[in-house]
Amino acid sequence: MLAISTRPAASRLLSKAQRFISTNHGEYDAVIVGGGPAGLALASALGSKKELQNSLKIALVEAGDLSKVRDWSPQAGTFSNRVVSLTNASQAFLKDIGSWGHVEQERTAPIQEMQVWDGVSDARITFSASELGVPTPDQGMARLTETLNLQRGLLRHLQSIPDVHVLDKSKVQSITVDETPGSWPLVHLDTGRVLKARLLIGADGLNSPVRSFAKISTYGWSYDTQAIVCTMVHSPRGAFLGPNTTAYQRFLPTGPIAFLPISDTASSLVWSTKPALATALKGCEPSVLARMINAAFRLPEISMRYLHDRILEAHEAGKPITDEEIKAEILWREQSHSIDQTSAYSSITIDSNSGIPPLDAEMVPPVVSSIQPGTIASFPLRYNHAETYTGEGQGSRTVLVGDAAHTIHPLAGQGLNLGLGDVECLSRCIHGTVLRGGDIGSYTALLPYTQERYLENHKIMSACDKLHKIYHTSSGPLVQLRSVGLEVLNEFDSIKAAIMMSAGSVSKTNRVLSYNGDVRAAMFDMAAKGVENIGKAAGVAQVVRGGLAGIAVNALQNLAKAAPAAAASSQGSSQGK
Amino acid sequence: MFPTRLLRSSTVNASEIAHFSRLSAEWWNERGEFSFLHKMNPIRMQFIRQKLIETAYDEQPEEAVNPRKVGILQGLDVLDVGCGGGLLSETLARLGARTTGIDASESNIAIAQHHASLDSRLTDNLSYKHTSAESLLTQSKRFDVVCSMEVLEHVDNPVMFLKTCSELLKPAGHLFLSTISRTPLSYFLTIFMAEKVLRQVADGTHTYSKYINPSELLQFFQTYHSQVPSSESTANQSRPWITRLYNGEPTRTEAEVRGMIYNPFSASWILAPRGAWGAAECNYIFWVRKPALDGISS
Repeated sequence: MLAISTRPAASRLLSKAQRFISTNHGEYDAVIVGGGPAGLALASALGSKKELQNSLKIALVEAGDLSKVRDWSPQAGTFSNRVVSLTNASQAFLKDIGSWGHVEQERTAPIQEMQVWDGVSDARITFSASELGVPTPDQGMARLTETLNLQRGLLRHLQSIPDVHVLDKSKVQSITVDETPGSWPLVHLDTGRVLKARLLIGADGLNSPVRSFAKISTYGWSYDTQAIVCTMVHSPRGAFLGPNTTAYQRFLPTGPIAFLPISDTASSLVWSTKPALATALKGCEPSVLARMINAAFRLPEISMRYLHDRILEAHEAGKPITDEEIKAEILWREQSHSIDQTSAYSSITIDSNSGIPPLDAEMVPPVVSSIQPGTIASFPLRYNHAETYTGEGQGSRTVLVGDAAHTIHPLAGQGLNLGLGDVECLSRCIHGTVLRGGDIGSYTALLPYTQERYLENHKIMSACDKLHKIYHTSSGPLVQLRSVGLEVLNEFDSIKAAIMMSAGSVSKTNRVLSYNGDVRAAMFDMAAKGVENIGKAAGVAQVVRGGLAGIAVNALQNLAKAAPAAAASSQGSSQGK
Repeated sequence: MFPTRLLRSSTVNASEIAHFSRLSAEWWNERGEFSFLHKMNPIRMQFIRQKLIETAYDEQPEEAVNPRKVGILQGLDVLDVGCGGGLLSETLARLGARTTGIDASESNIAIAQHHASLDSRLTDNLSYKHTSAESLLTQSKRFDVVCSMEVLEHVDNPVMFLKTCSELLKPAGHLFLSTISRTPLSYFLTIFMAEKVLRQVADGTHTYSKYINPSELLQFFQTYHSQVPSSESTANQSRPWITRLYNGEPTRTEAEVRGMIYNPFSASWILAPRGAWGAAECNYIFWVRKPALDGISS
């Protein structure tokens, strides 16, 4: 039933590794569907292991044209609107597989400090790389770069790996499996090729075809929130303020707004807000959006509410608000709040480029002067988690990574880091299986992957979900409680932890098999495993007990219980949508 | 169903074979009857890898050994006695071994052959035979590695079985066995819990009295001498496979016992460190090396 055409690369490979080429040229050990960062990183991770060379034949299938990504050459000083924050663990993993060197370093920027505050009460926490005990504070607690820069780097690295065949401009038409039990999945491409997969990996995003083939259901909800993204242009920070390496995030009741530095004069915006407001803002001139961004980091919440209403009214009336109108409105609101014209909180008259900056200059991001043309876009936010990561029965020999397995609110910038965590774990799991002669497509081989990643992802996902929901309200008692929480209980520990993402996970790559018969090492390993398992068991118990499934934010849940009415309304309103 | 020549050989137990033949279709259901074996396989292979690398380091210059090589069994003739559905045989073949899997149950062999045919990487160096270890002795072929996993507790005459496996090895060959200790703990876990209470393993799979303790294996190989063809040596006797024990433990180069412990929380097996106290009270894996020809006492 297979109609396989001879591949042009076949002759090259025949000479290279003749004994591994089967008569069936469409047979692969791993077929990765999806050429996003997670899929590309997985192909690189599997292909770059020297000892796995010639023992794994890998295909990466992508519907789009990857040559556009490979040849992407942006103008100096301009930046794509989609940026990712890579934790140090993610960077270490990318270095480990040899891809990081292919990522253009000039287009990455460290985050050395984060300022996060409550839009209603102004309760604020700051954390910096040096405080967090990052071994190299100069490198920051994470690094921002454009998704395209990362993808391009991964693709360039893949060019040097002969074991990986990149099949782009190939859309998956269908995935089938023969009746015979134990048969391998067949991936039919619109180019007419059919790939037989020992292991089929779904790195194919939110609406994963691989996930539907494996009949893995998901649970989740839409947040009734759109994230506006764009590249913001601003003056460089003056000599007194140091480089543009501080990320800012303010939790407004409409959703968090984040300012992510990517160069001295450019930063990236992720503004999660109500869909109607997002549409209205996108409908205005870009300068109105720039003014609103400045205001959203500065004005009290009540004024933001007023400005939102003005923009919505104007939009509904069919006459989007003009730059002059919004400038006048913001100026009036600043004056009515008695914001000093020389303060950093004034965005209308401030001239950030000259003289000594105001005392509170570090409290807010630089004033946005314009939006890089053509970078304004928005997308809906969802929470989605697959019920399992590995297929069974007819859908066996499948595994999900990245967004195909989970999508998350971007408020902690962890989506891709979770995906890279999956990739690191899965490649380690596959590596270990190959060294022990196992079948990488078997359920038993993939079980440790699901065991390790599911709870890990769930913890961070639910922490982000809870944060979104708890900050989604401006009701008095809850705001007071959460502000106390923010300042005293410092519940951002979970987010801090998320940003740090257990730097230790990288060392596991070197633990695939321990060959030395060192009893002590093995004993420690066993003891550690035991403790880990107790921890896991406790974690599961908490999930079950809590019902709400928040582990890292247990403290917050307790607070929410103290204000049942407010909590109920906030949960109800956000879950009902 | 059973050819008489198999029943005539002394170690194959007819009712045991009937039991596993009934279950043969289940071999490759990783969530079913044999899920414990599927999960145990990686640590068996880990142990085999470890021992082969360790002996390679003992015998070759450091730089000649690549401990991270995938094809660690490349070029070796390996026999899997009692291969069942081929769980271990397939993994041995993937690591490069020219693998022969034998089983006394014809239906097991059929299942193993069918499953191997699904994986094109296995066609070159994996073959199965419906035969007994004893009947292989009549042929001249000998093996670099003989494995027999979870078989010893099912055979009728373990001494005879051990001798047969030993004789199938080339000099300096490796024998790997895994089985279950005869202890109250093993009765509780492998029979009472696994078969009677949790019913994760079919009732009647195990027979307590057939379990063998590590000390009994060590004892056997302390007195066991390879049969030496008289033409090759003036002395009739080679050294025993295990020359002596130190506090009940063999030396690292002659034999090794490692416990295998099931961790129900992570649903996986752990290969216990060498000499871990009490680790071999239930499942364990055993390695012993046939003395090389130059090891014959002179």
